Amino acid sequence: MYDAPTPENRVTDQTIKFSARKVQVYYGDTHAIKDVDVDIADNTVTAFIGPSGCGKSTFLRCLNRMNDTIDVCRVEGDILLDGEDIYDKKVDPVQLRAKVGMVFQKPNPFPKSIYDNIAYGPRIHGLANSRADLDEIVEKALRRGAIWDEVKDRLDAPGTGLSGGQQQRLCIARAVATEPEVLLMDEPCSALDPIATAQVEELIDELRQNYSVVIVTHSMQQAARVSQKTAFFHLGSLVEFDDTEQIFTNPKDERTESYITGRIG
Amino acid sequence: MSDQHIVSSFDRDLEGIQAHIMKMGGLVEKAILDAATSLETRDEELAEKVRAGDRAIDALEEQINEETARLIALRAPTAIDLRLILSVMKIAGNLERIGDYAKNMAKRTTVLSQMSPINGATAALRRMAREVELMLRDALDSYIQRDPDLANDVVQRDHDVDQMYNALFREFLTFMMEDPRSITPCMHLHFIAKNTERMGDHVTSIAEQVIYLVTGEMPDEPRPKRDRTSHDASVAPDA
Repeated sequence: MYDAPTPENRVTDQTIKFSARKVQVYYGDTHAIKDVDVDIADNTVTAFIGPSGCGKSTFLRCLNRMNDTIDVCRVEGDILLDGEDIYDKKVDPVQLRAKVGMVFQKPNPFPKSIYDNIAYGPRIHGLANSRADLDEIVEKALRRGAIWDEVKDRLDAPGTGLSGGQQQRLCIARAVATEPEVLLMDEPCSALDPIATAQVEELIDELRQNYSVVIVTHSMQQAARVSQKTAFFHLGSLVEFDDTEQIFTNPKDERTESYITGRIG
Repeated sequence: MSDQHIVSSFDRDLEGIQAHIMKMGGLVEKAILDAATSLETRDEELAEKVRAGDRAIDALEEQINEETARLIALRAPTAIDLRLILSVMKIAGNLERIGDYAKNMAKRTTVLSQMSPINGATAALRRMAREVELMLRDALDSYIQRDPDLANDVVQRDHDVDQMYNALFREFLTFMMEDPRSITPCMHLHFIAKNTERMGDHVTSIAEQVIYLVTGEMPDEPRPKRDRTSHDASVAPDA
C-alpha cells in the first residue's frame, strides 16, 4: 500500500527550543507584551503575525535580549532556551546572541568586505584557528545563504555594493556563520523584490533542517508559505498559536479570522 | 467579526458569486418541479422547456467556476473566505448535476408520454421530486443564513428520499414481473426514481458544504444509508 508522504509543512520534531511563560514587557509605563505563553519547536519555522504595534517584534527581540539595549524596557516572566533562563544573571548576552542569531528588516551589512562581513562573528567568538579554517567557515556560510556563486569571485568587494536582495542574503549568511541554534528574522523580505523574496524563503526552508527559525512578517501569504506554526498577536497578547494550516483555513479566534481575511476587526 | 473586508471590492466579488449560486439554485428548483409535473401531466411542451432550460444552468456553473478561479488568483482568500470559495465551487457542481437529472427526467417524460401509463407511479415520483426540491430549498436557505442546524436537518431527511426510492423499486419490480409489457415504461420510471434519489444525495452534499463553511469541519457522522437495493438479494428477480 502506498503511504502518502507527510506534508512538508507538518512539524515532525517536537523538541521545544524556546519556552516562554507569562512574559510581560514594559516600555516605561506602557505594557507592551501581556502574559505571553509560547513554545517554539526546533527544526520548525514559526511565524509571528499581527497588526503594527501588536508586540510581535518586541517579543521576538526578547528572545535574544535585544531589548536590553533599551533603557526603559523591562522584561518579566520566564524565557527558557533549552530549559535555561536566558535572563539569568549568569547568561552573557553576547554569547546568547551567538546562539540566537538575528536578521533585520533592512539589510545592514557592515561597511567592510563581503569576506569580513561573514568572518566578523566567527573571529570575535574564536571559532576559527587558522586563516584556512576561517576561509572554510566563510564559504560554508555564503553557500548556506545561497549567495556563494554570486560573490565567490569578489569576496574583497564591499558588502554594501551588493544589490538589496544580495545584501539581505549576505546578512543571513552572516547570521548563520556563528552556527546559531535559533534564527530570528524581523520582516526579512519587506525590502526585497519577489525574486529575492522567493530566494530568501527557499533559504528559510533549508535552514529549518538545522535551526529553529522565528520570523515576523506583515505578509500573510509569506507566513502561510514558509511557516509550520503561526502565532497571532493583537494588542500585546498572543491571541492564537496553532499549526499554520489551521490558522489559515479555520482559525479558532474571531480576531485572528478578521485579521487574516482582511476585515475590519 | 465584521462581515466587511477593508477592501470593499473583495466583498462585491463574493456577493456576485453568491448571487449566481442563488440564481442557479432557483433555476434548478424550478427544473425539478417542472420535470416532475410534466411527467405526471404528460406535458411534452413543459418537458421540452426543462430540457432547453438546462443550458442556462450549465452556463451559470461555468461562470461561477471562472469567477472563483479569478478570485483565488487575485485575492488569495484565507479562512472563512477560502471555505466560502471552496464551498461555492462544490455547490455549483452539485447544482449542475441535479439540473442534469431533471433534464434526464424530462427526456424520459417525452418517451413515456407515448406509452400507456403505469398506475400511480408518476404521482409517487412527483411526491419524491417535491421532497427533494424542498430539501434543496432548505439547503440553499441554510447556506444564505449560514445555519448549520437547518443544513443538518436536510442531511437527516435524505433517508426519507432513500426510503421512497426503495418502495418504488419494489413496486416497479412487481409490475414488471406481473406484466412483461410494462418493462419498458417501468425501466424508464425506475431510472427517474434512481436519478431523483441521486438528486437527494447532491442536495445532502450541498448541506454538508454549509456545515463545513460555518464550522470549518465536515460532519463526521456518516449520513444514514437507507438505500439497500444494491445489496439486498431478496428483491432481485431470480433470488
